Formats: sequence, structure tokens, C-alpha cells
Amino acid sequence: MKLLTKSTLYIATLSLFLFFIMGVIFFQVLRNMSLSDLNRELVDMKEVVELYLDDYWGIQVGALPGIDSLSVRPAGSATQAEYIFGDTLKYDVKNEQYRTYRYLQYISQKGEENLLVRIYKSTTPTDKLVERVTLMITLMVILFLAGIFILNRFIFANLWKDFFEAIEKLKRFETTKEPVILGEQDIQEFDELKQVLEVMTRRLSNDYRELKEYTDHTTHELQTPLAVIKSKAELLIQSEKLGAEEMKLLEAINTSVHQLSRLNSTLTLITRIENRQFTEKEEIKLTGLLDRHLELLEEYIGLRRIKVQKYYKDGGRALFMDHGLADLLVANLLKNAIVHNVEGGTIVLETGPRSLVIRNDGDPLGFNQEELFTRFVRNTRRTGSFGLGLSLVKKVCETYNFSIDYSFDKQQHTFTIGLPA
Amino acid sequence: MQILIVEDEASLMESMVSYLAMEGFRCEQASDFHTGVAMLDRHDYLCMLIDLNLPDGDGLELVKLARENKSESGIIIISARNAIEQRVEGLKAGADDYLVKPFHLSELVARVHSVARRTHMDGGEVLRFGAIKVEPEEHTCFVEEQQVDLTRKELDLLLYFMANRNRVVTKEGIADYLWGEYGGGYGSYDFVYTHLKNMRRKLMDAGCPDYVRNIYGVGYKFSID
Repeated sequence: MKLLTKSTLYIATLSLFLFFIMGVIFFQVLRNMSLSDLNRELVDMKEVVELYLDDYWGIQVGALPGIDSLSVRPAGSATQAEYIFGDTLKYDVKNEQYRTYRYLQYISQKGEENLLVRIYKSTTPTDKLVERVTLMITLMVILFLAGIFILNRFIFANLWKDFFEAIEKLKRFETTKEPVILGEQDIQEFDELKQVLEVMTRRLSNDYRELKEYTDHTTHELQTPLAVIKSKAELLIQSEKLGAEEMKLLEAINTSVHQLSRLNSTLTLITRIENRQFTEKEEIKLTGLLDRHLELLEEYIGLRRIKVQKYYKDGGRALFMDHGLADLLVANLLKNAIVHNVEGGTIVLETGPRSLVIRNDGDPLGFNQEELFTRFVRNTRRTGSFGLGLSLVKKVCETYNFSIDYSFDKQQHTFTIGLPA
Repeated sequence: MQILIVEDEASLMESMVSYLAMEGFRCEQASDFHTGVAMLDRHDYLCMLIDLNLPDGDGLELVKLARENKSESGIIIISARNAIEQRVEGLKAGADDYLVKPFHLSELVARVHSVARRTHMDGGEVLRFGAIKVEPEEHTCFVEEQQVDLTRKELDLLLYFMANRNRVVTKEGIADYLWGEYGGGYGSYDFVYTHLKNMRRKLMDAGCPDYVRNIYGVGYKFSID
């Protein structure tokens, strides 16, 4: 949830709750006040009514000011010490509708006769007043909320502007680029944020650059000594004077140097991909790419008697990427599917408009699945592998925003590459 | 005919010179850019091996210079830089081949032979070794005038052996030469054995003596004795 939405929601919830409670109290107080006013008025009227009660059959209600209606009837022997106030509905002939009335009921003693008197007063004016006041309060609440909402937006647009700008800059920050530098800040907290961000991103950039330079230099500088060792070993192998023992030693040196130079060139490659040094983009047909690599790997596939099943349903799907990286991606995936296959196993290739699936038979991984794409993680039963192939694959996928997933089911490894539309 | 080597790493230079000498090549050596420039026109070289990273200049300039001077020598760039753009740039400048350090000397020799064939023979060249006759341009191989049907890879392997005759070549060297980047990473060289086995069998079936000798499991030597 956005900061603005969340804070607005908090304020709105709290103010609605408060206004509701306040509204209820206010309504009650107002009602009680108006009722006691009415009661007092009715008691006042009682005095007037008493004056006329001697001749109660001749009373003209209209002649009594402030009284809306009056009923008097014999009460027999009933006695009632106190006043009774009540509310009732009466039919108003003039307006053809029921109206609420407040009444005062009491027993009036006229000689030996007890009279039950009810004085009615319409509550419509007071109801109207309460209604109006309630409406006004509701209106005020709405206005208040709208005000808060607008104010909040204003605060966010102005006060927090630099904060959002900082987020935008951080999003665009890459270790290869300049550190994040924000403009002058007049808010203390943002000024601190600015300084922290600047120091942090500067250090990140520096660390990254140094590490990159270090890797670049190391891998590059290693090439020449490796070339020397390799060539010297090869010259030594030509010597007629060496026996089987010495040749065995040389073989070991040779193999290791060979591995080392392969490791070195692969690491160089990863560094270059990370540095986004592959910028060429061209259209490459996915199925064509797969077929070309299958042909190149034909001998090795044949050697292990592996069967390849192709299900091309991509409708001529093309990739837009660097040619070298496309080769790298497919070559490593296929190589992986061959190397980790079983003798006489199968490789299934499925292409769809949005995906490439490579499935191969094989034993379960000897390590945690999450580490599969990590450098130097490999099946320990195999020698001569550095566990760099899949991390290369992952790097290429990252470069082009392809997704890559791995699963293992029924003695089959499945790699799924999700391609963008 | 001579070979010109422009390389600043003395030790590597020494190795190349020794190995090429064993193959019967004479080498002129230049250890920096300026010596290289001065030596460019001294001979009509069979092939020039030029390192890109020189202490006082760019080897690529040397390649361009040689081509401007209408030199018809084969040029092989040897470089620690392994990027497609650099390869393309090198080949565009006029080089015939691009070899990435560290390389096998046997591969260097095979490439020198191959480049020399392309630049100094107008096709129709015939290579002989014992009973074997190969016409590289035609992709054909004969044993005592009887044609042997070799696959492309088997023929490449045979040419590699013939270029490195009487030398021990390692299986890694063979794999790198025949499969390039596909050579490594499989943890075994089974496919090298397979191709080698097939090539030997086909040649021997045609009546050719077996010239391939296994040298203590380190590699193979192609020789008549």
C-alpha cells in the first residue's frame, strides 16, 4: 500500500470513528435539551389550561395559545400524583399525515370530579431543528475529510517530494553508474537520508569498480603466464629423454593448466556479461539456434546414445539478443542436459511462443536446489566441471529479463526459460 | 620461408620459436611494436604471428600496416583478449586467423600450416605423409591412390596430425582444435578417442600402416617409424 493511501486511511478511520461518537453524543444532548424545553412549555401551558378547565366542554383549543391539541375526560376515582410525559402519533387532518406529538398527562381535580387531562404539543419544529443540525454536522464532517484528504495530498506532493525523488534515483542506480546525489534538502531527516545515500552508493560503486578491475586484471594477467606454462609443458612433452614417470607428471601439469585456462576464460566471460559488454542485438530464430547446436553436439549425444525429442510449437519464435550470448545460453543448457544425462537417456526440447523447456533424464541433484545457479556449485561425482555453466546461463537470462526455473520430477531435470512477449 | 613473431613475452616467444623450429620453420623475432614495424618488410614471410598487446603499440596497427604494404603473408593474431568484437576487428584489419592465449603449440602449428596453404598455394595442393595423400582443398584423402572416405572431423584430425608430424600432441590440444569452445567442459575426451579410432580404422582398412602411437597416455605421436 502506498504511503499516501495508508496515512489517508489512518486519518479517515480515526476521524470517522471520533465523529461518529461525537455525533451520537451531540444528537442525544440536543434531543434531551429540546425535550426538556418541550416539557417545560407543556407545564407552563398546564397553568393556562387549568384556568379554562372549569368549563372544559366549552374550551376552544384554538383559543389556547401554544397548544396543538387537548383531551379531557373523566378519570373516575383514579389518582395520579405526578405528571406523565409521553410521545404519540396523531393524525393531522389538515396535512393528511401522522405527526409526532409530545404530551403532558395529569389528573386535575375540579370539585369532586377527577379529570384526566392531556396537553399535546407538536414536536415537528424541534425534530426539524435536530434534523438540520445533524445534516450540518454531517456536511462538516464530509468537508473536513475532504480537506484532510487534499491536505494530505498536498503534504505528500511537497514535503515528501524529495523522498520520492530519492526512491526514483535509487531505483535507477546501478553499481556501474554514478552514485545517487540528491539536491539541497531543507528538511533535516531528508538531509541525513541524502548524505547516507550518497556515501552508501558511492562506496557501492567504488567497491564494484575495484572488484571488477581486479577480476579484469587478474583474469587478463593470468593469460600470459598460463600461455607460458602451457607452451613449456608442450615443449617438454616432445623431449625424447623423458620416461613414463616423467610423462605422467607432465600429463598432470598439462591437464591442470588446461582446466585453469578454461576456468579463467569462463570467469572472464561472466565478468563481461555482468558488465553488459554484449550490446549487439539481432533476431535469432529459436528453433534454428537449437538445431544448430544439436548438430554441433551430435557426436557427444551419439556417444552417450541419448535420444533427442523435439516439440517445436513456437510458431517461428525469434529472440532479440547478442548472437554470442544466445549461443552461450543454448550451448550450456544442452551441454548440461547431455552431461547430467544417463547412458541411453532422453533429452526433450519444447519451444512455445513464451517459453523454452529443456528436460533430461538423470539422477537427483547432490545438493540444494537453490544453489543450482550459483557459481562453483556442482555435482561432486563429476570431475573436470567447475559448476559455472548454469551460472553463465543465469547471467544471460538476467541480461535479457528471461526467467529461469528448475524442477526435478520422475527422474527428470526440467529447465524452463520464460521469454518476454 | 620465415615466420615473423611479434610478441613481448620473451618466455612465450622462446616456446613458439623452439616448437616451430622443430617443424622446420625459421623464425624472426620482434619483441615490441617498433621492432615489428622495422621487420615487416625485411622478408617475404610465410606467416606473421602478431600479439595485440604490445608495450609500445597496438598489434592491430601492425596488421593494418602489413596489409597496406601489400604483404601477402598469412597473418595470425595471438591475443589474450577473447571477445567476438576483437576477433571481428582483427579479421577485418586483414588477419587470416585469431588465436587466443593460452593456446597449444600444436594448434599454432596446425593453423600456420593452414594459413600458409590458403595464402601461398593456389589450391590444388597435395600433402603427403607415408602412404597417405591428402588434398585439403578437395577434402579428399587417399591411401596408395585408393580413396578413403573420411568425415570432415576425421580429415581435420588427420591434417592436424600431419601438421604436427613426429610431435606428441595432447588430447586436450586435439579437442580444442577440432571443437573449439565445444571441446572442453565435458569432463572426458571420449569423443576424441572415438574420432581417432574411426580415422585409424578407416586408414588401416585401406592398407595404411598405423602411424598413430600412444605416448604414455599423455597424447599421441604421428610418425612413420
